[in-house]
Amino acid sequence: MTVADAYPWLKAAHVACALLFASGIVAGGLLLAAGRAMADQGAPFATVLKRWDRVVTTPAMLGVWAFGIGLASAGGWLTSGWLQAKLVLVVLLSAIHGLQSGQIRRLAVGMDVKPLRAAALVVPSVIAIAVLAVIKP
Amino acid sequence: MGRNRRKDGWLHRPDQTEPAVPALEDVHGETKLLQGLGLAAAAEATTLLLLVGVAVPLKHLGDWPAAVQVLGPIHGLAFVAYLWLVLQSLGAGLLSRGEAARLALSAFVPVAGYLAARSLGRRTAGQPSRRQWR
Repeated sequence: MTVADAYPWLKAAHVACALLFASGIVAGGLLLAAGRAMADQGAPFATVLKRWDRVVTTPAMLGVWAFGIGLASAGGWLTSGWLQAKLVLVVLLSAIHGLQSGQIRRLAVGMDVKPLRAAALVVPSVIAIAVLAVIKP
Repeated sequence: MGRNRRKDGWLHRPDQTEPAVPALEDVHGETKLLQGLGLAAAAEATTLLLLVGVAVPLKHLGDWPAAVQVLGPIHGLAFVAYLWLVLQSLGAGLLSRGEAARLALSAFVPVAGYLAARSLGRRTAGQPSRRQWR
């Protein structure tokens, strides 16, 4: 199988991972907010979220990176401005997910968590990533 | 009902009762997280040393760029994984912002990652580290 043959499969895997990763971060942010509101009752709830994060969201993030780097190399886009802008946004989303993941662990053992202000950037970043990836300005 | 319980068992494990006092699990989770962070620090430091000490001289002095082409992405992934774990530990409240910043900066300095790994190892072993992490 040549790189050209593998390209649509790499793209499909990258999009699937991106959908799961983005939905995992959005859901994580919402559920963390709900967990904070539930105070002491949030721990069992966060245990389920922690497991989901470990089994689905984190592997999806790794897939986004691995397939994304493969696609960028195959397409020769590593020096393109749109890809570099997209990369900054993906780094931002990965960083927010890292903080979220730690907060979920904290909530799962019954400790309180502070609201994550950077979580407000998740939805605009996902929209911007979609525009950059499809339009390639 | 029973079928549903089996189906979502991988997610919730309803047969396991939630511990009333999660302190032991907490300590175990913290130790595992910090051990993972220490391993990631050592891995990042190793790939950085190999990249700077072996691959880059081979490219510029030996005209052999293949080592950089292989080690570059490997170091990039180790770097991103390490920073992600630093942020996860920060989110979990195991590190203060200053400590997280110092650990992140150590990723840019060759050998500093080993010092960070050693310090984190001491902390997980319950020994006092030279720098107070909390």
